Amino acid sequence: MKKIFLLSLMSAFLFVSCKKDKDETVDPMTGGTTAAAQYKLIDKDTTDNDLIVELYANTETIEMGYTPLYVKIKDLGGNAVENAMVSFMPMMDMGTMQHSSPLEQPVFNSTSKYYEGMVVFTMASSAGSWELDVMANGESATFDINVMMNPTNTKYVGSYNGTDGEKYIVTLVRPFKWSVGMNDVSFMVHKKESMMSFPTVSDFTIAMDPQMTSMGHGSPNNVSPVSKGNGYYKGKVNYTMTGDWRLNLDLIKAGDTIVNAYIDVLF
Amino acid sequence: MYCFRQKNHSKLSFYSLLEGKFKKKDEMKKFIVLSFTLLLGGFVFSQNDDTLRPSQNYKEIIIQGQKKDSKEKASAQLQESTDKLLSTTPGITLIKRGNFALEPTIRGLNAGQINTTIDGMQMFGACTDRMDPISSYIEPTNLEKIQLSTTPNGEQTGSAIGGGINFALMKAELGAAKKFSGKVGAGYQTNANNIQTLGTFQYSTKRWALLVNGIYRKADNYQAANRQEILFSQFEKWNAGANLVVALNDKNRISLDYIQDEGYDIGYPALTMDVAFAKAYISAVTHTYENRSRKLRSIESKFYFNFIDHAMDDTKRPAEMVPMHMDMPGTSRTFGMFSKAKYVLNPKHILTFQLNAFQNDLHAEMTMYPDIGSEMFMLTVPDGQRRTAGLNVADTWLVNEKLKISYGGRGEVNLSDITTKIGRQTLTSFYDGEAAQTRVSGNVFAQANYKFTKKIGFYGGLSYGQRPPSLQEIYGFYLFNRVDNHDYLGNPDILNEESISGNIGVNLKYEKLAISLEGFANSFTNYITGLVLPEFSNMTIGADGVKQFDNISDALLTGGELTVKWNPIKVLTVQSVNSYTYGIDETGGFLPYIPPFKSINSLKYHHKGWNVKLEHVGAFAQNNVSTARYGEGTTPAFNLLNFAVQKHIDLKKDRALHTEFGVENIFDTPYYEHLDVLKIQRQGVNFVIRTTFVF
Repeated sequence: MKKIFLLSLMSAFLFVSCKKDKDETVDPMTGGTTAAAQYKLIDKDTTDNDLIVELYANTETIEMGYTPLYVKIKDLGGNAVENAMVSFMPMMDMGTMQHSSPLEQPVFNSTSKYYEGMVVFTMASSAGSWELDVMANGESATFDINVMMNPTNTKYVGSYNGTDGEKYIVTLVRPFKWSVGMNDVSFMVHKKESMMSFPTVSDFTIAMDPQMTSMGHGSPNNVSPVSKGNGYYKGKVNYTMTGDWRLNLDLIKAGDTIVNAYIDVLF
Repeated sequence: MYCFRQKNHSKLSFYSLLEGKFKKKDEMKKFIVLSFTLLLGGFVFSQNDDTLRPSQNYKEIIIQGQKKDSKEKASAQLQESTDKLLSTTPGITLIKRGNFALEPTIRGLNAGQINTTIDGMQMFGACTDRMDPISSYIEPTNLEKIQLSTTPNGEQTGSAIGGGINFALMKAELGAAKKFSGKVGAGYQTNANNIQTLGTFQYSTKRWALLVNGIYRKADNYQAANRQEILFSQFEKWNAGANLVVALNDKNRISLDYIQDEGYDIGYPALTMDVAFAKAYISAVTHTYENRSRKLRSIESKFYFNFIDHAMDDTKRPAEMVPMHMDMPGTSRTFGMFSKAKYVLNPKHILTFQLNAFQNDLHAEMTMYPDIGSEMFMLTVPDGQRRTAGLNVADTWLVNEKLKISYGGRGEVNLSDITTKIGRQTLTSFYDGEAAQTRVSGNVFAQANYKFTKKIGFYGGLSYGQRPPSLQEIYGFYLFNRVDNHDYLGNPDILNEESISGNIGVNLKYEKLAISLEGFANSFTNYITGLVLPEFSNMTIGADGVKQFDNISDALLTGGELTVKWNPIKVLTVQSVNSYTYGIDETGGFLPYIPPFKSINSLKYHHKGWNVKLEHVGAFAQNNVSTARYGEGTTPAFNLLNFAVQKHIDLKKDRALHTEFGVENIFDTPYYEHLDVLKIQRQGVNFVIRTTFVF
């Protein structure tokens, strides 16, 4: 009898702790106060100035699109270095040409104790090879990044030729966790100024029209994304059902549609 | 004239009841205008069946009674479908989507506006496309009678504004004359190759009695006029019921009911999908207390649970008819109780109290499988839940030998919510407020009966009622309506539908002639209908757009019924049943689902167990439609003739054999009725043969 009681008590605790775990896995999606253990170590490398650079991401595998990256710098003694100058330099080597990609340089987050930045991987590694140089106090650690394609029927980033002669990159901002109904959605827009320079563009007006392509219908009450600065656009998307959704995004400037972009999601 | 004064009197006493209900003065004014229109209009109706109790404004269609003389009738009625029995009742019109599960409407009101119950038990169809009105889960073998009320009354178990239909279950009889008795029957109809077999058996002792019944029905596609086959109109079903009554003592009884009803492969030619299965499980336990010598005459308490499992199916349709394969299962679960008491205050006042509560949970989902792309999933009724608790109080006041007034009211609290996370998320698609909501609704009513002479009686009544919107009307998510070809969205902000209604009638009963005439007017505020959302894109492939349930400021339904029964000679009966409804919305446009003038006339010859009946069924054309707003088209008039011969042979030991031969739609007339979805032709000529053995 006592045993049963203990067992049930234990299972109750188990249940409680399970629930807690679950909560924590949800948290990183919203960003912010993340349990450090949630980040997955991609690789580590040592720079010429004897700093150990550890590169983390939200997932063990990296795929195309908006990719938050987290860096931890340690000295040889294993002590964290919190005041280093850290920067990213991603490079895609396609054999005949090389290009970089849109990114946000890492900034130290005193809460999480990571240097936090972001890279938009515009291609998959099948088209060439991605290398990410992480500069720490002037010396670089180099990581080969294997960028996977987005899952079938999804497209989280796209490059477009604008009617103004410029090239633009439109990216769906992670994290996203879709559910039926109203969802917050964010995009980033970058201009491809050169192979190495991708400044953000914040002065577009975006008209968003989600479509269920296999049925030919849209959804009501969407809120087209509006610019929040630094290339970010935030709106609301209404998924009336699960399945394949195409988010059509018209990037408009001075009344002219410059880019017809789209993002495909599936859930 | 005297009677009119009496009407005024009853109306005035009713005013005091109502006054508190009116917030605005103009509402009161409207009410007065309406009342006078009614009184002066003076045209009207009611059915005068032997079973009719106009005092309650209550009509009963007896199917199986425990009286001896009902045996002959029961033998015939048992073999009919529930739909057929409903369709011949004045005031009821059926919405037809196939050859099965027709949906009853009462005087132009349907779905959430009327209160459909089984033995007082609340039950709600699981199908989002209204394929399964609860009448489809009940067979005449289960039933003692069908009770129709056209106004609020003391028996109601919900605050519907249009009255309701109650399917009273057949109960086992204690201490019956025969220990073991029953009926077995079989029938065949040439059209649709429709077969049925049925049986009811009863074992009765003084302390307990058991009744079991079952029916099996199967039909192929039916043929409209000119042998035109209506594809996907087949069905198959069985239904079994049991009732056990145990007398605890001479005042207390326990009754257990269980009904299981399963339909398979049911075609709906008017819809885009058929039904793979529709199953219902209905159970109840009832306690009754009766003491004729005490003031507290009786208490009846019932606890019940029912569950419906329903799955639509498009796999039997040819590929070119199915733009995309879908699975659409739905469930509906209801449990609840009611307890009603009759208290004789003094010889002039009989009070009835009823307390009832129930909870209904609806779940309906849809999974779509496109040829290219990923499967899609959505909830169409996002796990809506309704909890209702209500109290009725009514008094029957026998003012004097000539005048009887019954009046009362109901108050009800409704809690609606969505019970799952995915359901609440779904709601965010079209609503950003809280899913949970509480509503209060109810009604007050008064009905007066005045017996002018033994042969002439007048009656009339007034009521004010509110009904909460149904779960579909609050939370529905792209519910497809084939009539106007629109997807419907629910509306959590929708207001309760309100109505003020009045009825007035006269009954004349002479030796050879009985006439009853009743008229009604039902004035709505915040009438609930679908209004187009122009910016929205439809979900259903091929639909014309999206509508949302919403209130329109007002609507008016008016009409009446006239029944004439004439026995020129003893062996001959001429009967005529006529119904008419007229409905307009706030713009003066015509409301949908309003049947045109319909008349059922029969000539019956009955002599020595022979019963020969020639019946005419006809309806005027319905041109009162608002095609642009509600999607309805006009419907032409039709006239049909039916013929039937019945022979009832009494055998020894109180046994009997009942046989029937009939021809329906003798002239193979092509026709459809106004409420038939998609105007699909109804059944052409049909030969019917049935036989029932009673023992």
